[in-house]
Amino acid sequence: MRKFLKTLIPVDIFKGMKLTGTHFAKVFSTANRRKVKMHVTDEYPEVPVKLAPRFRGRLTMLKDEQGEIKCVCCLACEKICPTQVITIESGKKEGRKTKIPTRYDFEMERCIFCEFCVESCGFDSIILNHQFELAAYNREDFSIGMLGQSQNMFGLTPVGKFSYSDED
Amino acid sequence: MNATPELTLLQTCLMAVIQAVCVVLFIFIIVPLTIYAERKVLGHAQDRLGATRIAGHRVGLTGWLNRGMWRMGKVPFLSYWRGLPMLVGDIAKLFLKEDIVPTKADRAIFLVAPALSLIASVVVFAAVSFYPGALFTFPKFVPILGGVPFNGFITDMNVGLLFILGIASVGVYGIVLGAWASNSKYPLLGGLRSGAQIVSYEVPLTLSLLVPVVLTGTLNFNEMTRKLALETSPLAAPLMAVGFLVYFTCGFAETNRMPFDMPEAENELVAGFHTEYSGMRFGFFYLAEYINMVVVSALASAFFLGGPYLAPFGLHRFIQNLPLVGGPNALWYVGKMILLLFVFIWVRGTIPRYRYDQVMAVAWKYLIPFTLVLVVLAAAVRYAA
Repeated sequence: MRKFLKTLIPVDIFKGMKLTGTHFAKVFSTANRRKVKMHVTDEYPEVPVKLAPRFRGRLTMLKDEQGEIKCVCCLACEKICPTQVITIESGKKEGRKTKIPTRYDFEMERCIFCEFCVESCGFDSIILNHQFELAAYNREDFSIGMLGQSQNMFGLTPVGKFSYSDED
Repeated sequence: MNATPELTLLQTCLMAVIQAVCVVLFIFIIVPLTIYAERKVLGHAQDRLGATRIAGHRVGLTGWLNRGMWRMGKVPFLSYWRGLPMLVGDIAKLFLKEDIVPTKADRAIFLVAPALSLIASVVVFAAVSFYPGALFTFPKFVPILGGVPFNGFITDMNVGLLFILGIASVGVYGIVLGAWASNSKYPLLGGLRSGAQIVSYEVPLTLSLLVPVVLTGTLNFNEMTRKLALETSPLAAPLMAVGFLVYFTCGFAETNRMPFDMPEAENELVAGFHTEYSGMRFGFFYLAEYINMVVVSALASAFFLGGPYLAPFGLHRFIQNLPLVGGPNALWYVGKMILLLFVFIWVRGTIPRYRYDQVMAVAWKYLIPFTLVLVVLAAAVRYAA
């Protein structure tokens, strides 16, 4: 009898309708209020996205207080990189005891963002920053290098240059 | 109803044209709003925003205002307004897209089918009565139409319901013919599915509409609405509630809406019956589906929810003598239609698509015997009252 009634009366459908209906009403009534945020989505292009502090974005090379590149070309990052995307060529510079990279190529299209390079760096000269707009217009643009390359490690990505979230 | 004055031929023709234009305008306002509401409601139900912008949110007045609100950390209210231009954009896109006719398609039928589908769904409104009698009378200073009443319906025919059911079932010809004329496998499958499904669901749909017909004993749209709202015995109320559910379920299948959208099941057939269509011809099918939704909700609100007569929660008893809202009101009718359109979208956000055999089983194994019992019960109630 009970099974027959269950067949006759679509209880499950009404339960589902109630669930989605109340959820819709909740979201709809709090849609325009900042305090109670029901939407999962972000207003991304207009509002900068809040990333987790440990988010791994694009590789960036750091400079010290004098504006000198910190990297000393110990090749630790190049050796530890599991996908072997880092290529370093070292050179000499007047008035600097250590070596300085003349070429630091980072082929981002194969990078897996494991952060081994950052961990292995004994001089804190590279980090993965919070830039996540990594798109580029050409395949060549994915190889990030130092100054002179279309993507260098000191500036924004080609897409990031036009991003609203990096304004202000 | 007021006694209608004798009209000249010119006046009759003019009134027919004006009323037809008004109804078509009504349809072409409510249908894009339904499409808009669909995106928004589904978006909110799924914890996202839905359509918020069409393009160029950095420029112009709205862009400036929105950026100001975002700077203040608020979601701008204009973003809701800004979802609306998407309708215009969509329609412009449909019009501007290349209209491809496959080489081996049956050209004439291929071109005519979407129009057939659209026209069949629009023509139904000729018999739908939004308001019994005259909404207003043209004042004396209007050149030709002075003193002529503007009715809440186009025609008040004695077989209104038959007309509606007859014309509504022509719509499937558009789908099946278009699918067949595409000369391609997926559309053909989709069209056949649609044909089978609509033929199956036509039966319980008509049978569930027989409940009000049996209760009132007439096929006139106005008469049926009035009698159901005001003169039917309260014994019929549970019957009508069940009849409403059955009718509405069949309405979903008739309009190829979500739980029953077999003809467009995009994971089985590429896009279903309109795979080969593009540009505005696809838009016609799209519009036809939404107009069918409006038709189904119009009939449901007229025959099962009291039409323009009953206000919700029995409010009509208290506001009967008030001006504007008292008495039968076209706004209630449209309000109920809009509520039902919302339910269409709500269901789409809730119930997943059925398998094809389940779809057919629901119609033949459950709904048809069920509605037959309903009709018998309705006859019993009619006899008892």
